[in-house]
Amino acid sequence: MGQQKHIAPPHSLIRFFRWFCDPELVEDLEGDMTELFEERSRANVARAKTLLVWEILMLFRPGIIRNFEGNKNLNNYGMIKNYFKSAWRSLMKYKTFSAINIFSLTIGMAACMVIFLFVKDERSFDAFHKKRDKIYRLCEVQSFPGTNTQNVALSMPGMGPTMTNEFPEIESFVRFWNWGDQLLELGDKKITIENVAGADSTFFEMFDYPLVIGDPAEVIDEPLDAVVSEEVAIKLFNKKDVIGETFVIDGDQCIIRGVMENVPENSHLQFNILLNIKSATLDNPDFDSQFGGNFLNTYFTLNEGADLEKMAERYPDYLSRNTGRDNINEMYKLYLQPLVDVHLASTDVEHDYNNYRKFNGTYIDVFILVGIFILIIASLNFMNLTTARASNRAKEVGVRKTIGALKGQLFNQFIFESIMLSCMALIFAIVLTFIALPFLNILIERQLSLLAIFSEPTLIVIILAITITLGLLAGIYPSIYLSSFKPVIVLKGFKSYEKKSMFRSSLIIIQFSLALGMIIATLVVIQQLTYMKNKDIGFTTDHILLLDMNEQTREKYDELKQALLSESNILGVTGSGQRLGNNFHQWGFKVMHDTGVAQLAPSNVFVDHDYLDVYGIKLLQGRSFSKEFATDDGLAFIINESFAKDLGFDDPIGQKVGHSWYPNDSLGTVIGVTEDFNFNSLHYKVNKLSIVVHTDWGFSEMSIKLNGENIAQAVKDVERIYDQFVTDYPIDYEFLDKHFQELYKSDEQMGAVITIIAALSIFIGCMGLFGLASISIQRRIKEVGIRKVMGASVNNLVTLLSKNFTLMILVSFVLATPVTYLFISRWLENFAFRVQVDPIMFFAGGFIALVIALVTISFHVIKAANSNPVNSLKYE
Amino acid sequence: MSKVSIGEFEEIVMLTVAVLYKDAYGVAIKKDLEKRSKRKVSLGAMRTALKRLEKKGLLVSEFGEVTAVRGGKRKRYFKVTPYGKKVLEQVMETRKRLWDAIPELAFDM
Repeated sequence: MGQQKHIAPPHSLIRFFRWFCDPELVEDLEGDMTELFEERSRANVARAKTLLVWEILMLFRPGIIRNFEGNKNLNNYGMIKNYFKSAWRSLMKYKTFSAINIFSLTIGMAACMVIFLFVKDERSFDAFHKKRDKIYRLCEVQSFPGTNTQNVALSMPGMGPTMTNEFPEIESFVRFWNWGDQLLELGDKKITIENVAGADSTFFEMFDYPLVIGDPAEVIDEPLDAVVSEEVAIKLFNKKDVIGETFVIDGDQCIIRGVMENVPENSHLQFNILLNIKSATLDNPDFDSQFGGNFLNTYFTLNEGADLEKMAERYPDYLSRNTGRDNINEMYKLYLQPLVDVHLASTDVEHDYNNYRKFNGTYIDVFILVGIFILIIASLNFMNLTTARASNRAKEVGVRKTIGALKGQLFNQFIFESIMLSCMALIFAIVLTFIALPFLNILIERQLSLLAIFSEPTLIVIILAITITLGLLAGIYPSIYLSSFKPVIVLKGFKSYEKKSMFRSSLIIIQFSLALGMIIATLVVIQQLTYMKNKDIGFTTDHILLLDMNEQTREKYDELKQALLSESNILGVTGSGQRLGNNFHQWGFKVMHDTGVAQLAPSNVFVDHDYLDVYGIKLLQGRSFSKEFATDDGLAFIINESFAKDLGFDDPIGQKVGHSWYPNDSLGTVIGVTEDFNFNSLHYKVNKLSIVVHTDWGFSEMSIKLNGENIAQAVKDVERIYDQFVTDYPIDYEFLDKHFQELYKSDEQMGAVITIIAALSIFIGCMGLFGLASISIQRRIKEVGIRKVMGASVNNLVTLLSKNFTLMILVSFVLATPVTYLFISRWLENFAFRVQVDPIMFFAGGFIALVIALVTISFHVIKAANSNPVNSLKYE
Repeated sequence: MSKVSIGEFEEIVMLTVAVLYKDAYGVAIKKDLEKRSKRKVSLGAMRTALKRLEKKGLLVSEFGEVTAVRGGKRKRYFKVTPYGKKVLEQVMETRKRLWDAIPELAFDM
């Protein structure tokens, strides 16, 4: 056996070991390791190295790792440890202050986190489509004569194909046509499925709704090809693989070619079954070049660099050539709306039926603003309290400086402390958000989850960065202030250091201005929401049950109506083609003037004879529809006041009017004029309206007015009678007042968020005020004592001590008022029907803030004013 | 009872130090320990235990001579102190008393 050369252990590993190992242990341990390594490397060098790494890792443990404290090595670890210690001690020493300080920041952060989650959720709409930046929705600005101009999300079936042909910028089109609830027949089984829709075969190539089974390029290639969601697959066939299964809609047999994942919540299009769009137009070969009615949504993908403005220049020419109508461009203007705007920027778009959970995007900006406000309030609070508390730390600063601390070091110490506090606040904020989210989710009807933050590492980093920045920013002023103390003065006694605290007062003023602004805004928002809830919209929405009509109910409408009316708890039954609560469809309308026949396009609704009575719509002139006149079915028109004014007749009753397709010589007559009732939401002005009876058209909904005192029984009656008449279709109904609540949901939710945030910000502001009051009153305790000895009454003292704070609130009020006024009037412009901005609201807001502030400080004020002067004066 | 208490691993380490007597330094203790207890012991685990025992006063240690092997590093030899011996005896006593107190039938279950 020859003498083998020693292989030394890898130097880098040993160096690492030497770095962390306790110097007292390093020699013998290194020896032991080397010995083991030499022995092992004789057998296998690689294994020896692995084992060495393992040994060293196992040595990296308390007991072996050397003490990194500063007294043994020249570094800052020891000092930082001491910073931590003294920060902790001062936290624990002034528990109330620390709690106020951290808790106010916690609330601010938690509020911001929730707002962030909300905004993120809203912004995630339609974001899962890879081509989202290229996809546009075709919209129209319709300005028909005799109606208000409106933006409409609907388009004509011919537009998609012909525009794609004529505009080189357009790569492809998809039309989406929602057929609503459909009755599916599976052998003997009949099942109603909601949200059945038709689309062009390119649908799954343009939009990325994931398919579980099936090729996106060809799943709905042919008419009657269908894609169903997993949920529907299970509902219909009790399994997920349903390829090749069939079902019947409207007598047509559809075949399933694909299964998709359930459409996600954050998609503006919602559908459970998607059929090829031609499934509904089998006997209409001209569908692709059909113009006239607008009833479906058209989406385009544009190629790179498409110029929307240049395209818009060519729309008029396109329209007049394709529709063959000369005046088409007076009535229609086309425009493309980016897909990313559909969810949040469609507030001004009407007839927007396929826009799930549409939200007013400007509210998102409001939320972000409000979130920033509350964070500012919380940080100012933090700054203020830390500075105000400076006197408590003055001696510490003096001692540290005497021992040799540099100003920079002290600055670092306080910045470090401030960052530590903000990190603590972050932890509490996460816990708080976690606890509060389930309740908030119920309130705002969302499914927000903290997972949205913690599943993205970048977001975690950003949040940490924001927290540290916040700690840094909030800490800068107090740190400068504290580290600038002169040791001699501080150690001799702090009093001579006391200056007028202009800075702190202005912080309080900013805080209260923001909080006040939010309080006032909240009051006006609540006022507007209440106004909308309580405004007499011209018809009754209470206790009206809307029964969805189907083939059988249409057939047996009259019998069903009679049977329902015979129940004592049912007060009225009527039918209509459209539901109240949104704009009615506009149809062509003819008016006979002396000079000739004018064509107009007001909103129209066809109804049953007793519609006005059931809804309690008031007539200004003329009479309501009546079965006694046979001509009332189709030839009698009731118009609203706006329309009557627009027509310009001295007496509208008896004028010759009719649908656009009526021949000029057989028009009907106006028989009545109603008040302007708000059939659309209060965001919009009342449009011109014409009401007509067509009993043979088939109503889409039956409105049943129930006895308000006995709703439950009445609903049972309706269900029982329905089941007697209808066997094929399950009952489907909704209440009208609930439908109206939906109209203002965006606004209501905004109101809720603003109210919560306003409450929180005034709460944070008050916590700060509470802390500040206690300090400033503590400083004046001797003054109070002397005044009391000299004969001041408790009342005098309370006034004296509250004066400053009252002044601050007044200044905030003056600052907050104009900005809030501007902001709130802009918001109110969203509503055609709105409350006036009332100065009383401003004073009420100011008054509330003042009272809350005074109550907050009263604890300290009254305690000070009542204290025995002996106690405050006996030590000097 | 002494206030110093030692764990099972510490006990084994001390006993091994006693077994090795004049030759009880790091690698030797480790090897002997692994051989007798049939388990893997890292230098780290062992050295922390030795350090702790030394701090408790149950062991003492001193450096040996410089040798050519081991990269020229000295070995540290450990020795059980009389106090250490007492503690070991106490541990054994306790165990013994417990064993004696076990009724015959206890393990027949």
